[in-house]
Order: sequence, then structure tokens, then C-alpha cells
Amino acid sequence: MRQKLIQTLGLGFTALYALAIVWLYATEPRSFKEVATGAQVAAGTYQVDQKRFDAALDLFRREQFRAAREEWKSADPAQSDPTTQFYIAYSFYREGWGRVYYDQDLFKQGLEAVNRAIALTPEPINVPDQNLQLHTAAELKAELEQGMERNWGDVNPLKVMRQRK
Amino acid sequence: MSDELEKSSDDLAIAAAREVVVDNKSRNQALVSYWVLPNIFLTVALLGGLRVGADDRAFIFFPPPLITLVLAVLLMLLFVRGGLIEWQSWIAANYPPLRNVSHIWVLLTLFFASAQAFNSVLPERGLLHWLFSFFFLWTLWNNQFSSFDARRLLRSLVVLFGTAFVMKHLLLASLYGSGGGWLQRVAGALAQGVSLGTLDAPMFAPATGYISFFTLGLYIAGLVLAANSKQ
Repeated sequence: MRQKLIQTLGLGFTALYALAIVWLYATEPRSFKEVATGAQVAAGTYQVDQKRFDAALDLFRREQFRAAREEWKSADPAQSDPTTQFYIAYSFYREGWGRVYYDQDLFKQGLEAVNRAIALTPEPINVPDQNLQLHTAAELKAELEQGMERNWGDVNPLKVMRQRK
Repeated sequence: MSDELEKSSDDLAIAAAREVVVDNKSRNQALVSYWVLPNIFLTVALLGGLRVGADDRAFIFFPPPLITLVLAVLLMLLFVRGGLIEWQSWIAANYPPLRNVSHIWVLLTLFFASAQAFNSVLPERGLLHWLFSFFFLWTLWNNQFSSFDARRLLRSLVVLFGTAFVMKHLLLASLYGSGGGWLQRVAGALAQGVSLGTLDAPMFAPATGYISFFTLGLYIAGLVLAANSKQ
């Protein structure tokens, strides 16, 4: 009976250990800190650092986009919070937006971030922030995609009249 | 009458002591077979593909390349041929299902540990990766037709993995290392130039060598334990 118990417990424990190894190789964390964060995400206990998030939001409102992104990256190291990823995408949009031309590299990174945000949740992302004109991830994605398209409208001189959202 | 009673009570005490010894032995064997061995082999499977980046000291996980799986299959065959794994005592129709499942699980962990042990001592890319793979393949294929017992097989494996470890983590690491003197840099540049860059090898932090050493040590310890534990 005792031998059976040892067998069963051994089998169960080592199966969990094997799953953890597969998970490590699949997620490829780069440090022990990332291992801990990844474990929190897997266990469903992951939360963004609210203090850093608020600090980043403050920087974003003061148009310090790069600094804001750094704070948001620290607040959400696992890139698992849709709202944070949405704001990161928005900061790329605002920084890359120009009256004469759009910075394609920043828009591309913004598109990656907004796609990440969309992939994180099956629900539509809606951010009720009065300082933003685009509240949903779909709107932001469309705006970023439009900014990356090339067409004859780009040479229209009236384009300088457009407004940043 | 009292002598007889005394004798029979002594016999009973001896039998009880023997039973305790047998019970302890079987419990310890079960612990080794179902806890220690799979955990050792899984740890080898975890650490065998782990490298530490030279620049940022970040973990890099290298999944086992396909060739290491082929090498592991050959090694498993060698284990069976060399008597390190006695197939009949591991899996049999008259065993309880749980026991068979547990034994298959241990063999599976041994297989992946073997693949990762090769992964640990194989250069990650380039011509050297294929050269090392070829030498492993050649050695294991030749060994399939040699007469082995478990002890000889273990010695042979220690030499095989030890040589590959020295080649990869001592010789090659020092040849391509960035912290060496001018002679080392010249030798590295010459090796690169003569081989038209095919000897290129990624650089890792020295911790990688320590991890590999520990991994191989653990793997060999697991094999010794497997050979000594009578199933």
C-alpha cells in the first residue's frame, strides 16, 4: 500500500515538474524575475504595478512618451495587461504622429503593441480616458494602419490641417 | 518446555526484524525508482539546454536539436544492450499497471535527460555542431556492436561526455573567448579564417560551463543509481 502511494505521488510530482520544464522552454524567461512573473501569469495572480502605471500615465499626459513607455514596461513586465499595452501603443501613435509625416518605425511598434493588447483578451478593449480621442483598441489599430499606408492623399497640402487624436 | 518457548520467541523476533529490513529496503528502492531517478533525469533535462548569455547574463533556453533525439535513441539501445536497463525487470505483463506506467515514465525521463546531456556538450551551430554530432553518432553506432556490461558502458559514457565537455567548454570557449590575450585572439581569428567562418560558435558566460558540468555529473550519478537499483 505504502509503495503504491510512493509510486502515485512520485508520478504526480514528476509529471508537474516535467510540465514546468516544458513551460520554461516554451516561454524562455531571461531571468529569475521573469520566471517569477511568468509563474504569476500562469497562476492567474499577475497584477500590474499600479504606482508605476499611474506614474507612466502622468508622463504620457505631459507628452513624455518614451519615459512613459519605460514606466509602463516596468509596470507590466510580462506584457500581459491589455490596458497597459493599449497605452503603450497609444504613446507610439502620439509620438510618431506628425503634421507632415508619420514616423513609420514608431507606428509599426505601436501596431505591434495594440495587436498584443487585442490578443490578450477576447473582450473588446475600451479605455474610458477623457484625455484620449480613441477609446478602443480597434480604433487605435485602424488609425495606426492608416498611418502606415501610402497613397496619393499623402501629397495633399491640406493634410497639415489634420488633428492628432 | 520453557526452552522451546524461548527459542520460538527468539525466532519470531528475528523474523520480525527481517521483515522490517525487507520493508525498509523495498521502500527505499521505491523512493529511488519513483522519486529520485525521475527528478534527477528531469533536472538534467531542464539544465541541459540552459545557457547564460555573455553580454547580459540572461538565460537562454536551447531546446534539444533533432540530432540529439537520434543520439538519445542510440544511447537507450546501448543501455538495453549493455544491461544498464534490464527491459524485463522494468516492464512486464504480470506487473500492476501503475508500476508499468511509473517505469515507462522513468525511461521517458531518462530518454530526455540523455538528449539534453548531448545538447549540453554540443556546440550550438556551425560546422562544429555537425562535427561533434558526427563523432557522437559514430561512437554510439560502433558501440552497438561491441560487447558491454553496465560498468564498462558507464565508464565509456563518462569518457565520451567528459571529452566533449572539455572540447566545448574549455578549448572552444577559450579559443573564442573575448577576455583572452593577443595569442588567443590570433588563434581564434586564424581558426575562423581558415574555416571561412564555419567554425563560428556563440559566446556564453562562464556560468554555462559550470551548469553543463553539474548537469553531466548529475546525469552520470543518475545512471549509476539506475544501474545499482535492482528493479
